[in-house]
Parts: sequence; structure tokens; C-alpha cells
Amino acid sequence: MKTIERVRNSTIGRSFFRTPNRVTERDRAAGHWSNFLLHLYPVKVRKIELTFKYTAFLGVASIALFGSLLVSGIFLMFFYVPSPANAYGDIQAIQTEVIFGQYLRNVHRWSAHLMVLAVAAHMARVFYRGAYKPPKEVNWVIGVVLLVLTLLLSFTGYLLPWDQLAYWAVTVGTAMAAYVPLIGDQVQQLLLGGSTVGSATLLRFYVLHVAVLPVALIAVVTAHIWRWRKDSMLTMDADPGGADA
Amino acid sequence: MLDNNPRIIGDQRLLGVVPGKPGVGDRQEPAAEDKVMVFPHLLIRHAVAVLFVLLVVMLIALFFNAPLRELANPMVTPNPEKAPWYFAALQELLAHFHPLVAGVLVPGAIIMGLVALPYVDRNPSLDPRKRQIARAAFTVFMVLWIALTLIGFMFRGENWSWVWPWEEWHGEL
Amino acid sequence: MSEISRRSFLSAAWKVGFGLMAAAGAVTTLGLLKPQLAAGFAAIVRTIAPNEVPEAGVLEVPEARGYLVNVDGEEVLALSETCPHLGCRVPFIDENNRFECPCHGSKFTREGDYVEGPAPRGMDAYATEIVDGVIEIHTTEVTPGPPPGTERT
Repeated sequence: MKTIERVRNSTIGRSFFRTPNRVTERDRAAGHWSNFLLHLYPVKVRKIELTFKYTAFLGVASIALFGSLLVSGIFLMFFYVPSPANAYGDIQAIQTEVIFGQYLRNVHRWSAHLMVLAVAAHMARVFYRGAYKPPKEVNWVIGVVLLVLTLLLSFTGYLLPWDQLAYWAVTVGTAMAAYVPLIGDQVQQLLLGGSTVGSATLLRFYVLHVAVLPVALIAVVTAHIWRWRKDSMLTMDADPGGADA
Repeated sequence: MLDNNPRIIGDQRLLGVVPGKPGVGDRQEPAAEDKVMVFPHLLIRHAVAVLFVLLVVMLIALFFNAPLRELANPMVTPNPEKAPWYFAALQELLAHFHPLVAGVLVPGAIIMGLVALPYVDRNPSLDPRKRQIARAAFTVFMVLWIALTLIGFMFRGENWSWVWPWEEWHGEL
Repeated sequence: MSEISRRSFLSAAWKVGFGLMAAAGAVTTLGLLKPQLAAGFAAIVRTIAPNEVPEAGVLEVPEARGYLVNVDGEEVLALSETCPHLGCRVPFIDENNRFECPCHGSKFTREGDYVEGPAPRGMDAYATEIVDGVIEIHTTEVTPGPPPGTERT
């Protein structure tokens, strides 16, 4: 500990941490505010929010699963080419030839299923707690957007192995879009990149899955957490206890 | 009031004692509505939650392999053809209603309903006993949706006919 | 003209500018992503002579993703094997002498007319033409199937 303290108090440490001593609550709050990641958190929460019963930590679980998906997904990208000629063989190679490949694919698959479950359960928990009520209405709506993004990510990823399961689930899923009045056929063709599921579809779903949707999800979830901090500070201001740091 | 003869402990001088809230180190137990510092109380719990989730994922991934069927073949539709489990409820609805209703209107209505929820339910109370209508409506919706998901996922076999999951298993993850 | 102050003009101008930029971006995106539709999988598929199509059951033509159905010894129908419901391939079930879709259980007669299930209409048919005594299937010309309760004319 002494060494860490000395590093924190060195010229470089001070330039980095701004608040090297975390002795009093005031120090800790100041350190908290000057940290990029921690500034998404409120400085103080009501003690009840620490309990398992209050949140079941489902929001954190969703984020943890998303992190697991990001890491395993990036590894999988090194071994996968999104074309009908390669995709299936690449998945087979990942499972049989790449060291830890099968494990990596398992992590990605099961994390995806668990994330859908965690996000849905998080939503249900928030509902039963009544945490969508003013001033948190907008954050609930952002949460709905995150649910839709999670489902879209899961669905676009479903096609990538290019096996029978993938091909027909996506055939049916995109055929549903064709029933949207007026613009349905256009939407379906935009998704498929043609009239049936083919190489254009695989490439489109891949780009959505590894670039467009993850970036969108990271942006929206950052807003979600930041707003959670802002809203929780508002709620505490309304309490007789008064404002905090 | 100045003390002209400050006590000296080690090389520190005690200049005075003031009334007020004690600083760090007191053992007072805060109540449920009291505020506590996020750092470290909430952060440490979040860290443990993350560790736990990652451990669960690791264990599942070590013992269960992700499915991979045969190569995609546009000439052969598997029978039964199943959507991913989170769309099983929709697929079950699609077997009973016109696709415009089951595939577009119902999911659209669910999403719009969820978005509109905080603006429709203007009851400010957080007390479960004072929001029985909202809780009942949401519970009915959830039970229905979970039931449809289970039916579509486990109870449907060839040509989407009814099967018992302990006799034939057609669920795909 | 003198009603519009310099300030309000400039304040409106940058908003309109951003609006135009967004519109241009949207048009470009749609144009880029809109698929250049190739006409069918194989625009015209040559098959066999009409009298060679079996009178019982159906004959699958994989190149056209369809079936040839000998209706009454004379007329031959070319049905698309894509379910009009949600695009699954509809197999012909010989025991029941009808088409049964595995995805959501829609059923069609041998002639592709709607029997039951969630499909909104009967099976779609391709246009056919007899050239040099051989049936040619035009996979780009699709006639939607007849609505439930009616038969193909």
C-alpha cells in the first residue's frame, strides 16, 4: 500500500489522479468525479440500493455479459469470413482447429442468450420496483431501445454460422418484415440485399452485427448509465436528506 | 476560545474539539434511506456481481457446446423450423393469426406499450399495494408471453403440431 | 422581406442546412443499400415436355425452386415452393396428397390452393410457356396464389 500511495503522490501520479489521498468522504467524492469511468456512477446512493433484493444486480449482469460478448466476439472475428463459401467451414475450423475456439464460441453463444434473459429480467425488476416513474421516464424509454438493440444483435448474430438453423430462422424473420404495410417489401429487400437470403444478406448481417449495432448499443448504454446517475441525484435532492456531493 | 497550553501527542498538537458529525471511522449503522458512498460500497458489490456472471458463463461454456447444424441448404427446410427462443412466442402467434397481426402489429404494440408505460401510468406511488392494476396488467402480460415462448420452444414438433417435450424434444438454442 | 432580421435568418439557415445534410445522407444511404435486384435465380428454366409430368404427385424443379403439377393430363402448373406465409420451402407430402409447410403448418392442395393454416393465400405460381414442346418456367413472373376459399382459375 505504501508504494501505491507514493506513486499516487509523485508528480506523475498527481497529474493523473488529481486527488491522491482518499481519506475523507470529500476526498473520495473528488476522486470519483475526476475519474472518467466512475463519473457515470453517482457519488452516493441510498443504502437500500446496495441490497440484492433491490436490483438483483441485473443491470450490471447485462453489462458484464455484453463485455464478455465484445471480447469473445472480437476473438471470433479473427477466424471468420462472412461469405456463404467460407462461413460454415470457418465455424467448423474454429471448433476443431483453433485452440480454445470451441470454448470461445460457447462463451459467445451462451453469453448472448443470457444477455437477452438478463435484460428482460432487469426490465421486469425495474417495473415491479416502479423505477420508471418520474423523473426516470426517459431512462425507461432508453431501456426499451436497449432491449430492441439486444434482440437485433442476437438475431443478426444468429445468421452468421450459416447452418440450417441460421438460414431458415432468418428467412422467416425477414419475411415477417414484408408484411409491414406500404414499405414492407422495401424493408425486406434492404435487409436481405436481394430477394432471398444469400451472400449479400450474410454480409449485411455481419456488418450490422460487428459494427453498427455494437457501436449503437455502447452509445445508448452509456447514456442509460449516465442518466441513472443524474436521476438518482434528482431523487435524492427531493428527499428531506438534501443534496449530496 | 484559544487554549494557551495545547496538549502535545507525539509531534501533533490538539488545538480544540468542535461539536458536529463525526468523521470517517465511526461505527454508526446507516438506515435504508441514508446515503452511502458508491466508492467503495456499491462498486465492490458490482465487481462481485460481474465476477459471478463471468464465472457462470465460463462454467456453461466449459460443459455445453454451442449447436451447429448442417450447412445451410435453400432446398430443404428443417421440420420443424424453429426461430430463436426469444422469438418463439411470436412464431407461436404466427401459426394462429395473419402475419400482419402476429408479425407486425403485436410486436409493434408491445414496444410502443413499453415506451408509453411511464407516460400512461401516472400514479406516483411506489407502494406495491397502491399500484395493483399496473402490477396485475404487467404480470398477466409476462405470464402470457412466457407461456407462449415455452409452447413455441418446447411443445411444437413436425409441421408445428403439438408434442410433449418429454416424448419428443425439438427446442434449439 | 424586411420582416426577416439577419439574426433569425441565420438561425433558421443553419437548421435548414443540417436538415438538408441529413436528407442527403438518408437518400445516399438508401440508394447505396438498395439491392440491385437480379431477375430471379435463373430467369428461364427449361424443363420437360408436358406429357412427361407425372399425373400423380408433383415433380420438383430445384433450378426454379418450384414444382410442376399435372392438373388433368393437359394443363401443367408451375408452383413456387416458397410458402406465401413466411418464405419456408413447402414440401409435398405424398401420403396426404397435399403440400404441408413445416414452419407454421399451412396446408395447400396439390393444385396449390389454400386449405388451412396461417398463410394469407394459396401457393404462388410461375408463368410457363411451351417452347419446342418443352415447358419453360419464367421464374421472374410470379402470379400470387388465390385467396383462401377460392381456386386457381
